[in-house]
Amino acid sequence: MEIRPILSALLRNKTGPLLVAMQVALSLAILANALHIVNERREVAARPSGLQDEAATFYFSVRNLNQDTPEQMLATIRRELDVLRAVPGVASVAQVSQMPMSQSGGTTSIAADRRQQRESGYASTYFTGDSLVKTLGLKLLEGRDFHPQEIPEVNEQTNAEVPTLVIVTRPLADKLWPGAPAVGKTLYFGTGSSAPGAQVIGVVEDLISAHAERGETGIFSMIMPARQYGNGGAMYAIRSEPGQRERVMQEAEQALRKSSATPMILRIKTVEDDRKDRYRADSALSWMLVTVSALLLLITCSGIVGMATLWVNQRRKQIGVRRALGARKLDILRYFIVENVMITSAGVLGGVLLGVGLNALLVARLEMSRLPLAYLVGGAVVFWAIGILSAYGPAWRAAGISPALATRST
Amino acid sequence: MFAYYFKLGLRNLRRNPALTALMVLILAVGVAASVSTLAILHVMSGDPIPGKSERLFVPFVDNGQPDGYVSGAAPDDMQMTYPDALNLLRKHPAERATAMFATGMAVEPPRTDIPAFQAYGLAPTRAFFAMFDVPFLHGQPWTADDEARGANVVILNRTVAEKLFGDANPVGQRLIMQRQPFTVVGVLGDWNPMPRYYKLIGSGPATGEEFMIPMATAVRMELTPYGSVNCSQVRDPGYASLLASECTWIQFWFETRAAGERADLHAFLENYVGEQRKLGRLKRPVAPALYNVMEWMEVRKVVGNDTRLSAWLAFGFLILCLVNTVGLLLAKFSARASEVGIRRALGASRREIFQQFLIETGVIGLAGGVLGLLLAFGALALIGMQSRSMAAMARMDWEMLGLTFVISICAALVAGLLPTWRACQVTPAMQLKSQ
Repeated sequence: MEIRPILSALLRNKTGPLLVAMQVALSLAILANALHIVNERREVAARPSGLQDEAATFYFSVRNLNQDTPEQMLATIRRELDVLRAVPGVASVAQVSQMPMSQSGGTTSIAADRRQQRESGYASTYFTGDSLVKTLGLKLLEGRDFHPQEIPEVNEQTNAEVPTLVIVTRPLADKLWPGAPAVGKTLYFGTGSSAPGAQVIGVVEDLISAHAERGETGIFSMIMPARQYGNGGAMYAIRSEPGQRERVMQEAEQALRKSSATPMILRIKTVEDDRKDRYRADSALSWMLVTVSALLLLITCSGIVGMATLWVNQRRKQIGVRRALGARKLDILRYFIVENVMITSAGVLGGVLLGVGLNALLVARLEMSRLPLAYLVGGAVVFWAIGILSAYGPAWRAAGISPALATRST
Repeated sequence: MFAYYFKLGLRNLRRNPALTALMVLILAVGVAASVSTLAILHVMSGDPIPGKSERLFVPFVDNGQPDGYVSGAAPDDMQMTYPDALNLLRKHPAERATAMFATGMAVEPPRTDIPAFQAYGLAPTRAFFAMFDVPFLHGQPWTADDEARGANVVILNRTVAEKLFGDANPVGQRLIMQRQPFTVVGVLGDWNPMPRYYKLIGSGPATGEEFMIPMATAVRMELTPYGSVNCSQVRDPGYASLLASECTWIQFWFETRAAGERADLHAFLENYVGEQRKLGRLKRPVAPALYNVMEWMEVRKVVGNDTRLSAWLAFGFLILCLVNTVGLLLAKFSARASEVGIRRALGASRREIFQQFLIETGVIGLAGGVLGLLLAFGALALIGMQSRSMAAMARMDWEMLGLTFVISICAALVAGLLPTWRACQVTPAMQLKSQ
């Protein structure tokens, strides 16, 4: 290989190669970090919600304006549940205090032992007056669901009773009691001698929290039995038969409105919409980063092609001389490709350093996570390939230059 | 000479059209990316109430549990308890003070063709309107007497007022809210500050507060707070216990006559905390604090890390575009060595060549700026389609418009320095000989 002569030729005219190497370095540094962030966001959004059929699940927030006594409110909830269950195409209905990914709901501190100094974590609190396991189609791994007689009626205005039974998600059970069966254990709400406890009767595979937070709190959820009333309204989760959501939503709304003689405020939302809203900012950022990355590659490509073309044009005469002295087309092609690989390698090296530096800055200043090395290695391979591909066209044209050129004057 | 070189620069745009177009396009893309992210950053971090932001203060009093508290740890919540809010409202040395919480009410329109709906609004005290310079389209704030009585008076925003009463002035009209008759005393003008600096904890309707009622009325009607209620201890059920509890759910502001009165206000607050400690409250060893508007926006992280990240990466991208443009300009100018040779031979000084080529680069920057501005508008429109609140953030003002051209021309000039300097190095004799 004629590396030495290529290198000394490069060193004699440094500006152009330096510019290309800088472009490669910058692109690689930004690309690796951007893709790392995109992937991280994707992973968060791709966590399973635990719902059996998200596309068929929706919920109503209903507030009947003619509710004066708590007893009346409880009766209204029972009547509305009956009305909803009677709508054809409804697979299951449950009164619930909050919905997954709806970004509105309660969280409480939990502990495996009340003598702990600090709580073990925070969990999202789902209260249900029916079977949320059945309605959301959660996968019960251990234990059982609540029996109807275990669900107390709780007037939220006067009753501060804490539930005594609880169903937890698998990740939460693993955190509290690693390696041991969770069913039968007592979970405490907070720490200290007065912290109330509840007995775990079941473990579901997944149920994402109401806020779907990025960390572990996003997958720590618990379901507790309570027919809550007295706050003037109720929320009902509904799963329709597969594919019938739109029709069922319309008919259920009409049925609910018709069932009440007094005005009511009704809000309907699908789980799909909640998911979209929850991850909107993440997906917007991802799109922005992907767009910038694509433009980055395009611009770097065009930079390499442009510079390579310029060099070929500047060296037409030299190429002619070399060809006249017996160099084959392949030799010319190889010269330009090797030259380009050398420049790209310098750029890649700089890019890896710059990428690590940029990531350190992002970690320190913007609370981003560490960049795995794989992104830099992958990025390096991509840029080598791009470098060779981009240089191939101009190099091939250079190889086509006729030896007769050497004998002609400019 | 400037005008002449400028004209030459314009004419030279047509020379080497492919190369020039590529340069303008790359510059435009880089400028658009950085300007559109910068525009969002600018809206988010700008002073929302210029001239007053130094005189408005959020007080912070830590009432968290003392056990398990680690010195320097972030507070559980930065809102206030209802008793603290009442105490501070009653006795303070500032010009004005207001307390507020977000809430919602069921509205039954007087017109029968509109079904009942849930409205989302705010329950502040009367000083709120003067403190935050809230404009009124009709009417005015409720009176001090209304506030003292906890009267059923409401101020609507324009959208809700028009939905309920059409274009007519609704002041004095009645409507049913939460099953009770309310009298409209005012309609807000166009007022929907983004970010919502007056209530940074908790979200709110993207279209702005739909109604405002006196806090005393909201408390009398036991309206649920629509925001976070942070309790460090289990409290008894019922509204009365919420009011009496150590739960934090009220947001509070002071306004002083001058920014310099901050020290006095701080001393007052320290004195207040001292008094409360004697009563057995506020046991955490945390000093009270005051934050003015800009400090409060910083504390509440109004500009999210994602926004900063976008801006940083966009600037990295702009630098890449610059490096690329340097290369393209080198190519463009190197093809004109003979032209430079002839001009130099005819007596032009290096300085004049430098001027001409730099002005030509500036023209390219200007073209890139125009195209970049169009692209930035497109990008902002795309970002605005994400959500209503993003639409309020993703807008461009005159400052940003000017900045676009400044960035673009500066970028082009910086990129043009090296190629221009190279062009000046041409020795006339060598060029003329090789012709």
